[in-house]
Amino acid sequence: MKFALFLGCKIPASVPAYELSTRAVLARLGVTLVDLPFNCCGYPVRSLDREAFVFAAARNLALAGAAGLDVLTPCKCCFGNLRHAQRFLDEDPALRQRVGAALAEEGLALPAGVAVEHLLPVLARTVGLDAIAAAVTAPRTGLRVAAHYGCHALRPSDVTRFDHPLAPTIFEDLVRVTGATPVEWPRRLDCCGEPVHDANPSLSDRLTQAKVDDARESGAEVLATACPYCQMRFTEFQAAGSAAPLPVLLYPQLLGQALGLAPRTLGLS
Amino acid sequence: MSASFLRMAFLVSLGLCALGLLWRVSAWLRVRIGSDARDIRFHQRLFAAVGGTFAALFSRRIFGLVKAKVLDVLLQRRLFNGCWLRWLGHLLIVYGFLLLLVMHALGRLVTAKLYPDYASTHDPWLLLRNVFGAAVVLGIVMVAAGRRFRPTSTPRPRRLGDKVFAALLAVVLVSGFLLEATKVASPKAFYRMANEYIGSTDPEELLPLRLAWATDFGVAFPDLQGTPDPDKLAEGRELHHDACASCHSPPGSSAFVSYPISRALAPIAEPLDGVDADTWLLYLHLAACFLGLILLPFTRFIHVLADPVSLLANGAASSGPLSPAGRANRRALAIDACVDCRLCDDRCSVAPIARSLGNPALLPSHKLLATHAVATNPRWLDRQAGHARRIAEGAVLCTTCGRCTDRCPVGIDLADLWVAGRADLARAGQPSPAQWVRERSALDWDEALAARGAVQDPIGPLSSNRETYSACVQCQTCTNVCPVVAHGGEEPGPVDLTPQKVMNLLRLGMVDLAIGSSMVWDCATCYQCQEHCPEGIRVTDVMLELRELGYRRLGDTRERRQPE
Repeated sequence: MKFALFLGCKIPASVPAYELSTRAVLARLGVTLVDLPFNCCGYPVRSLDREAFVFAAARNLALAGAAGLDVLTPCKCCFGNLRHAQRFLDEDPALRQRVGAALAEEGLALPAGVAVEHLLPVLARTVGLDAIAAAVTAPRTGLRVAAHYGCHALRPSDVTRFDHPLAPTIFEDLVRVTGATPVEWPRRLDCCGEPVHDANPSLSDRLTQAKVDDARESGAEVLATACPYCQMRFTEFQAAGSAAPLPVLLYPQLLGQALGLAPRTLGLS
Repeated sequence: MSASFLRMAFLVSLGLCALGLLWRVSAWLRVRIGSDARDIRFHQRLFAAVGGTFAALFSRRIFGLVKAKVLDVLLQRRLFNGCWLRWLGHLLIVYGFLLLLVMHALGRLVTAKLYPDYASTHDPWLLLRNVFGAAVVLGIVMVAAGRRFRPTSTPRPRRLGDKVFAALLAVVLVSGFLLEATKVASPKAFYRMANEYIGSTDPEELLPLRLAWATDFGVAFPDLQGTPDPDKLAEGRELHHDACASCHSPPGSSAFVSYPISRALAPIAEPLDGVDADTWLLYLHLAACFLGLILLPFTRFIHVLADPVSLLANGAASSGPLSPAGRANRRALAIDACVDCRLCDDRCSVAPIARSLGNPALLPSHKLLATHAVATNPRWLDRQAGHARRIAEGAVLCTTCGRCTDRCPVGIDLADLWVAGRADLARAGQPSPAQWVRERSALDWDEALAARGAVQDPIGPLSSNRETYSACVQCQTCTNVCPVVAHGGEEPGPVDLTPQKVMNLLRLGMVDLAIGSSMVWDCATCYQCQEHCPEGIRVTDVMLELRELGYRRLGDTRERRQPE
């Protein structure tokens, strides 16, 4: 089990605990990670220029392809975006040719067969729930966790192939394997509010508020995420509010606790 | 040139340099970048700077300060991590120049005080002057080579002051070596010294000494050709030993740069003497030094002062966040600390996007100048005809990943600068596209586009293909699952268009009405609509494509109306 680790831009700068805990957990579970000189996945430019977004994504895939590695990213927006770029390259031969030519200028080639995976499916399917269960030494028994799915990994399912788009179970399965109890909450598949934060802050606040309220009303003690944008949104939104915040954990932090890893190695104080 | 005139010229240059520095350094407390810097007064920033310095000096942070001084300022560790070739070149320039300044330029003030028998024409001083001069030249070549072998290369335009200063520096170096070479070969210089120390200018009387100096020191006497008489030469060498040797070392080995030049000049040594070449070269050398001194504060070479301050401030910084005043100071300082080395560009996460868009304004080295210009001159952006949107793209597309900050050899917090710059851009009329599109309603935008006449720019592949949305049966599933519809628009309430209406506008060919709608720009891109559509229409993908079209078409329209 060996992957090129695609951290994207947000994790190193704004959510360093996600990198720490991801590395710690995967090292414990026998997954080898390789660092490559990746650039932005292209997500920020997707609304402004399709070709620039596909080129940025393709360049990353080309780097992974040259190293003979599949890509693992803990960021759901990077994950979705890299997958979308693959789709656009597949369905638009003219675009594929232009992007290929631009890559060739710096000695790179459009890769064939580089798989892009998100952290959660790698844990649940590549490592496997049984292997994780066997490694758990300090189960988080009794902790009630609301698993927040994150849109860009789940949908559109024909592109992301993450889990069943209407009734996914992967995140709850991964919560259960830590010994914690996943709560049922109606808004688990809804948007966290981050993508409209710049365009329409008030709308963004309403989306986030609805999520947090729902998680709390459903009896959750902890909100679990697996994306830096969702994590930042829930944390920053609650920090600005007056109510006592619902704690937000990155999934590998929760898993790391169950694996008995030291809090410091998970970015927890 | 009299000594008093020289002293006067030096003092005047020094005074002007000091005034220039005062003006430039005060900008570190005056320039306001970012909305949080607007309300901070000058005295608050002065207090933050002085107070911060004292707090660092008299606390445990002094250790960080000393470490920064040694590793970052003296050894330039951060540059070493960026590019070792440029690091070595830069160290050669810095220390070559610094040592030339102290040992040679301030020879009488410093070297002669430390070493009473100092003579600029005696070793080790003669040798060292050539070593240091050669180090500077070699360093410049290495730094230039390091720049050339960079992966990305879009140099930002050089300012006139920088060009003039670089030219002056070249004049100082070249005239220095030429002056030394001319004097080595000059018979006139020999007679002047002979008159002073032996009391004779008679060529015949001085023949033995002349033979010794022609043979051992390379003075180009036109009448002394061929093999010298060994007795006379020995006599001359003895005289040299008594009268000259305490101040003169043979330049053949010591002046390893100037001596070869003097051999090339030897055939024309007499005509050079005829026009007082050594005097003019000295004037040129000094004039270039003094002019450079005056110009220094007004060029990017101000970094010789700004960079150590920036690095020391970093080293001394407490682990907690900076005060707003301190942050404002650091941003202003950053503008002068940047040397345009462009190492940040190499690491920029969106550099491939900049390349694909053909827009260098995305790169940190370009953004730094734009950030400063926008912050200090609100009208600057208006004058960038047709480029304002491209400059704004740099701010919009930056992911604040902080790689530029990590790489900067002088420790500028560039990511903080970009975030601060966004607020200034918004003030200057260039907020993010998702914000400026709200300046008008979808209907107003549509009318403005219609008034402009037919637009020929291509529509995206999905929107231009009828098959994308022709299957839409207006069942409203997309609208029913949309969180933006459910939670309302700006205020809780109805959105201007529902997703299904957007699809319908496409079917009716009314794409210009769709691209300005808040539904398109408020779309959370959660893909609920696309996932749930019973006809498999790629609703969200179409929304994103409409944004791209809107950015181009509405952006063009907005830019044309701006001057009103």
